[in-house]
Parts: sequence; structure tokens; C-alpha cells
Amino acid sequence: MLLEVNDLSLSLKRAGKYSKILDGISFQVAQGETLGIVGESGCGKSMTALSLMQLLPDKARLGGKVDLQGEQITSFSKRKLEKIRGNQMSMIFQDPLTSLNPLHTVGTQVEESLILHTKKSKQERRDRVLHLLRAVGLPRAEELIDEYPHQLSGGMRQRVMIAIAMACEPQLLICDEPTTALDVTVQAQILELMNDIKRQTKMGIIMITHDMGVVAEVCDRVIVMYAGKIVEEAPVIELFQNPKHPYTQGLLDSIPKLGERKKKLGSIPGTVPTPGNMPAGCRFADRCIHAMDICRSTLPPMINIQENHQTACWLYDEKEAKNDGSARSTELETALHN
Amino acid sequence: MALLEVQNLKQHFTTKKGFMGEKTVIKAVDGVSLSIEEGKTLGVVGESGCGKSSLGRSILRLVEPTEGSVKFNGQEIVGMSPRGMKELRKEMQIVFQDPYASLNPRNTVRKILEAPLLIHGTGNKKERQERIESLAGKIGLRKEQLNNYPHEFSGGQRQRIGIARALMLNPKLIIADEPVSALDVSVQSQVLNLMLDLQQERNLSYMFISHDLSVVQHVSDKVAVMYLGKVVEIADVKKVYKDPLHPYTRALLSALPIPDPVRVRNRIILQGDLPSPANPPPGCPFHTRCPMATKECAEIVPPLEEKTTDHFAACIHT
Repeated sequence: MLLEVNDLSLSLKRAGKYSKILDGISFQVAQGETLGIVGESGCGKSMTALSLMQLLPDKARLGGKVDLQGEQITSFSKRKLEKIRGNQMSMIFQDPLTSLNPLHTVGTQVEESLILHTKKSKQERRDRVLHLLRAVGLPRAEELIDEYPHQLSGGMRQRVMIAIAMACEPQLLICDEPTTALDVTVQAQILELMNDIKRQTKMGIIMITHDMGVVAEVCDRVIVMYAGKIVEEAPVIELFQNPKHPYTQGLLDSIPKLGERKKKLGSIPGTVPTPGNMPAGCRFADRCIHAMDICRSTLPPMINIQENHQTACWLYDEKEAKNDGSARSTELETALHN
Repeated sequence: MALLEVQNLKQHFTTKKGFMGEKTVIKAVDGVSLSIEEGKTLGVVGESGCGKSSLGRSILRLVEPTEGSVKFNGQEIVGMSPRGMKELRKEMQIVFQDPYASLNPRNTVRKILEAPLLIHGTGNKKERQERIESLAGKIGLRKEQLNNYPHEFSGGQRQRIGIARALMLNPKLIIADEPVSALDVSVQSQVLNLMLDLQQERNLSYMFISHDLSVVQHVSDKVAVMYLGKVVEIADVKKVYKDPLHPYTRALLSALPIPDPVRVRNRIILQGDLPSPANPPPGCPFHTRCPMATKECAEIVPPLEEKTTDHFAACIHT
């Protein structure tokens, strides 16, 4: 397994108090696989990415284990981490303008990780940079290499970011909302490029996004996050065709679909609980139409629906379903069929 | 008669470039004509910089249009006196994109909602409070919450407050400029549902400006597609989405990520980016990225023509 995350947790200090941002996050990414992490703002998807890269504020408390190619990187020293960041694993951020240095040329920025991680000569590095710029579909690479970020459009900047991330041929690429700041036609170009890269390399990709459309386009498997916890995990087709967690169902129902006009969209009442105020039971219980007594008192474990498909919801716990009588299951059946 | 009729509207901005001030003209809106019927929604879609927000603002004369005519209920409003304009503003309101920046942080929601009534001298104190409380109920706020400040609300609630403010004076037309772009999907759907409910209840007309094709499809009756300050296609929503005529509309629709992993995609990938509106290409503004472009496209500015019944497109090849 390329990446194994085990019971990852993260606490950040806010107003003198630590509050848990991530709790019990476990997942795996295989070579050549694209894992999507979806959820709404504040669910912890970006913090998950930053925890994997260990790009965290000083006072953050990280718990659990992250193994990259069998090495436990959560126990690495700063120096050892610097050796793998940008080399074995790299990251693409949402906003390509603020993540590029305005004072350095495109070439210098792509070259940086080659200087840090390889023993290539100056000429070899320049060749490699030109190759990378062409590989990400940038026109006139020879001129572009000496240009500055402000001279490029948003789509081109994101391509440069991808070139930087790809420079050392990482085994794991983490993309945090790579197309959110882009227009649809440019987003389509970047997604196409990502799919090309996927086909050509054996890289594992983690794609963080709030856009279910993007998930459907590029991911193989998906994790749905809510309030710092994973609520469902399934292969992409299974997740869209057979969503189990009420939150996933609500999320999918609230997207306007082509061909359906002025129909009432599904929506999820209420708001996400804040990190300091997490309920004892299921974090979604307050907003859930199926909530039972146990949901408010006890955190649901991950329950196997079928192979590769798990969800953290008491509705699918056999014992609970029985305890609650048959009325519950028929109610559930109708709810699922509607 | 249409509620709103826009004829050949232009909004040009002059910017100085560099120290010595070489002037360039940005044609944000360049000859747009469209109309909105009572109780209907016109969706305006396009990518960033296409002029869709400028269009909304110049229709309301929040920025003075450079040229053209805007008729509301048959009355010409370009060049109208400030007094006449103030009367008309009751009828046409705007909802902004950013619910964080468009509400005054120092006022309570009650004050924010009262402001339009005070400005237009509507009702006495008691009537005003009644109106505020009834609309607050409509958007799902409790009475006590009216004394809270904007920062105490979530993004979705704030956007609903923005909508309530626009409705205070019982307008006929609301221009909604990216009203749900800043919101998460589950909250976005609440706001869209609210807007559709209000439309049915009050026979409102909307001009719904958005970059999100699936949202526009969901709420609109008619859709206008904009590219570099021009409308390139305008028709009934079904026609635009089922049978798009302009190559740009086709590319735009094919670029939309569809939340269905088993669907087969036939994607038209456009080359390059949107040209700068300060320096648009000659001829058809889209010809630099168009897969169908020929030599003539660089020379002729294609007029917006009726290609089939009530389906207008600006392309010499369709």
C-alpha cells in the first residue's frame, strides 16, 4: 500500500484551548489510485491534507500514524520530512496565484525541488523544467521559463503548480481544490491534464474537493467527511448510485441536476457543529431526519455495507436495527427509495 | 410587454495604463439586448470577465451605462431624473454575491431590513416592524434573531437576509448577482428553494447571474450566454441546454463536470484562456478559441440572429 493513514487526529489551539479538528481518520491509497475526499467547508478535508504533509502550525497536536511506502512519516524529524516533501509526496493548492512566488520566474520555481532533491547539473535541470512545462500543456515553454507568475493566466498558473509538484515524480500527489478558482472551460483542461497524468504515471492521487462533479470525473474511490470525521467510504460509482449515509444522500440530493428544472432541491437543515462543541454521539444527528436515540448518545462505528463500502451510521447496524423494531427498517426502506 | 427591456446596452470603462496614462477602453458590456417577462427568470451565464456582473449593475444604473436603453415597465430609465429613479428603485432590487461583505456589520438585522423602508418613507413604525417580522419568518429567522448582528449568522442565513432586504419594498424585479456562489451545496439548495418559492408566491422576475451552469439551468426560464461583453446565445432554457447553437455554449456545456461517474463524456476542450476584455480579438470575440473558426470569423463581427424560432445565436457558421 502506498499510503496508510491510521486513526489520524489533529488538535489546534484556539483561544488558549485545544480543540479537535480531525478525529479517527483512517484510509489508504494504492499506487495509481485516485482517492477523492469530499465534504463542505469546515469538514476538515484540507486539514487532512496538511496533516499528511505535516505542514501544520507549531502548536498543532497530531495523533495517529501515517505510513508512506511502509515508512512511518509521522515520526520523522523535520529534516527527514523535508527530504520527502516535494520529492516522494507533493501538493497542489487551491489558489495558484498566492501559492507561487511573485518575485521568481516560473523556471526558478519549478527548478527549486530539482535543486533540493536531485544531483542534476544546471543544464539537465533546465531541460527537465522545459520538459515538465511542455508535459503540463503549456505553450512556448522556452519563453515561459523566464516569465513571472503575474504574466500568466489562472489556468496557466495552475499548470505551473502541477509542473512543480510533478518535478521529482512523486509517488503521492495531494491536490487541494485544484480547480475551484478556475472557470469551467479551464477547469475542464486541468481535469483532462490530471486524467492524462493518472494514465501515464503510477502515482497515487488524493483529490480534495467540494464539487461532486469533479469527484465523478477523476476519482476511483471516495471518502465523505463531516465535522472532522469520515462518514462514508466507497468506490465512486457505488457512492453515487448507492449512497448510504444520510449526509451523503443529502449532499447528492442538494445538487441541481441537468434536465430537472425548478424542482424542489433536497437540503440539509441546520448547521455543522463547531470544533469546541461536538456532540457526544453522531455529529450529524442534529441535522439527520433518521436520527434515533442511540445516534445522540453513542458515536457510530464504521459499518461494512459490502466490500469496500463502509459508513458510520447506526441505521446499518444489525443489532440496532433489530432493537428499534421493524418499523424503523421499513421507514428507512421508503426513505431510501424516495 | 416585457417587464424589462434592454436595448443595445453598453458599459465601457476607461483605464489609464502606465505612468503617462495611455488610455484603454474596456468594453465590459458591448451592445447587449434582452428582455425579462413578468414572473420569469432570465439566467445570465458566462466565465469570469465576460461582463455579466457589469450588465446587472448597469441595468440598475449602479454604474451609469455608456449607451443604450433600459426600459422598465415601458419606462425608459437611462437618463431618468434622480427623483424618478428613486421611485423606480423600489421596483427593482439587487442581491449580491458575498453575504459577508454586503451586510453592514455594525447594524442589527432588524436595522438592516428596516433601512430600505426608512429611505423610501414606507409605513409607520409599527407597520415597518410587522413587515420586518413577517419577512424574517419567510426566510426562516426567529423574532429574537432579528436583534443579532450579521457575524452571528452562517453564510446561508446571511444570504437569506440579503434576499429579505431586497424584498422589503415589494419589488417586481430582482437582479441576483451570483447569489449562491459563496455557499456550500446543501446551503445553496436552501437559498435556491427559497428564491423559487418567493417567485411563485409574488410573481417576481429574476435576472439570475451565475457562472454555474447547473444552477442557472435549474432556476431559469430563458438563458443568455455571454462572452467578452456580448450575448452569444439567448433562448429558452431547454433549447440552450438541449440544442446549443453557438460553439462557445457547446464547449461550456461539455466542460461542466457532471456528478455521474458512469456517464460517457464527449468533451470539447477549448484551447487557451479567455482573452482580456481590454484587448478583445477582432471579428467574432470567440474565434481565437473556437474549434469551428474560419478566416471570415476574424473579420466579421457576427450579429445575434434568430436561427430557429426564438433561438438567437451570434455565429456565422450555425
